[in-house]
Amino acid sequence: MPESHTVSAGPADGRAGGPGGPGPVPPPLSGAWAPVPVGDPAADFEPRPPGGPLYRPDTVHDGWSTDAVTVRLASVRGNAHRFRGRPREDDVAVAVHAPTRTVVFAVADGVSAAEQPQVGAALACRGAVDDLLAQLESGQAAIDWKHVVDSAAYQLVARVAGTGGPALAASKEAERRYATTLVAGAVQVREHGVLSLALVQAGDSGAWLLHRGSGHYEPLLATKFSAGDAVISSAVTPLPRVPSPVVATTALLPPGAVLLVGTDGFGDALGDGTGAVGRLFHDHLSTPPPARGLAHLLDFSRETFDDDRTLLAIWPRHLLPGTTP
Amino acid sequence: MPENRGNLLPVYVLADESGSMGPYIDDLNDGLRSLHTTLLAEPMAAAKVRFSVLGFADDVVVRIALADLRQENELPRLSARGTTSYLAAFSALLDRLPGDVGTLKGEGYQVHRPAVFFMSDGLPNTYEDWRSAHRKLTDRSVTKAAPNIISCGIGEADAGTMLDVATDRNFAFVSVPGSDIGQSIAGFFGSLTRSVVESGRSLASGDAQLIVDRPEGFTMAIDVI
Repeated sequence: MPESHTVSAGPADGRAGGPGGPGPVPPPLSGAWAPVPVGDPAADFEPRPPGGPLYRPDTVHDGWSTDAVTVRLASVRGNAHRFRGRPREDDVAVAVHAPTRTVVFAVADGVSAAEQPQVGAALACRGAVDDLLAQLESGQAAIDWKHVVDSAAYQLVARVAGTGGPALAASKEAERRYATTLVAGAVQVREHGVLSLALVQAGDSGAWLLHRGSGHYEPLLATKFSAGDAVISSAVTPLPRVPSPVVATTALLPPGAVLLVGTDGFGDALGDGTGAVGRLFHDHLSTPPPARGLAHLLDFSRETFDDDRTLLAIWPRHLLPGTTP
Repeated sequence: MPENRGNLLPVYVLADESGSMGPYIDDLNDGLRSLHTTLLAEPMAAAKVRFSVLGFADDVVVRIALADLRQENELPRLSARGTTSYLAAFSALLDRLPGDVGTLKGEGYQVHRPAVFFMSDGLPNTYEDWRSAHRKLTDRSVTKAAPNIISCGIGEADAGTMLDVATDRNFAFVSVPGSDIGQSIAGFFGSLTRSVVESGRSLASGDAQLIVDRPEGFTMAIDVI
């Protein structure tokens, strides 16, 4: 049975009183809702409603623990989309395959140049996680990572073509409508409780191991900052294009680290992790914050960083406060 | 890499100030003012741009350099003068760009490939080889921060020259003969603003292949939306 994990973070709410009657009125939370400023904060404004036929909430967050890991995630609409009345184009999905104690997840960043990137991101995440669960359920010896990426990519094509046969035209149309990046992965419990992780990537979303003691962010995947070019590129190769070959990145998830998987809205601001954003997340992710706390943290305000941001964090339960080793 | 303070797009307006631009120079100045006003109403976009205006004729006058338009009360005015030296224009840009990119990176910013909006009414001086300077400026193996150049031909501008100046055929514009030049310039600045505001990512194919075949055992993600 999953073990609950109690954490305390965020502003104290001042509630006293018990079941016997109303307690004292809580003090006002002046300023507690404001975004966390980092450097020069962005301009303050009231967001416009997202356009489009689908309901896309501005922010989603989630969090829970198994006996092996604690999971937190948040996805927040960027200021540029809030200002211009566009939906959040990032998405994230996570699930547990209980029989194998495996946590599977996907993070996606719809490409703005596409027509409905938010649909692409949602389809890719669900497609990848569904396929991972199906593979684990089948009892096969190892995860077929190419199949995971293919399945996520084909979700976009199938959305165009229905359930009919394959067609290059449908693929091209899917790219025009639904192009999205994807990072999919799994954290598995090995012998003696050792945690291993595997990741696959299409596009420029990233993943890091944050070493909780040193604050060092160890990049696990290539991102736009890996190239060291004079200028950065905004070009990306997303699904439904599938990298060839699909190569899974594998690593151990040591007890002193936390796995972070995020879109470039987080990764660009993080850079190599030595700046203010890196320090902010190191300070607050050394132990798991409440999921709503992660959403608030991720919605930090820093000028020019106005993209959607999505972050999934997975801590090994071993060594966390309140956990019996 | 030092702290990433933000991602900036350097934008350059390379404006023809030669004598023959006289009839259009007020329209150009109005267009710049309109662009400024529009960007001030788009604080997210304005924060991500550093704006330079270079006027060229016989030589180049830097009217404003790497400005944060939110800090500027008004943009400088262009004025008609001299001949039309594309050579001076592209050479000046070639001189400035690497230093400008280096300056911004030194301040801790990541820098997008610069965008140059080139506006001219006509034929360049025939006795100059401007193409060599242009080639050097736009060759990414020579100039690491080689810009994307969008060209806008005003009045009687030669369409072929505008195509040669632009770094992509889709980046070349000429005003239709007989049309309202003021309208053309307004439209051009409109597209400039949109390109600045909508700095979303573009699609690239890289080495990846479009998926065409249905994966074995594929099922629809029916719970999606």
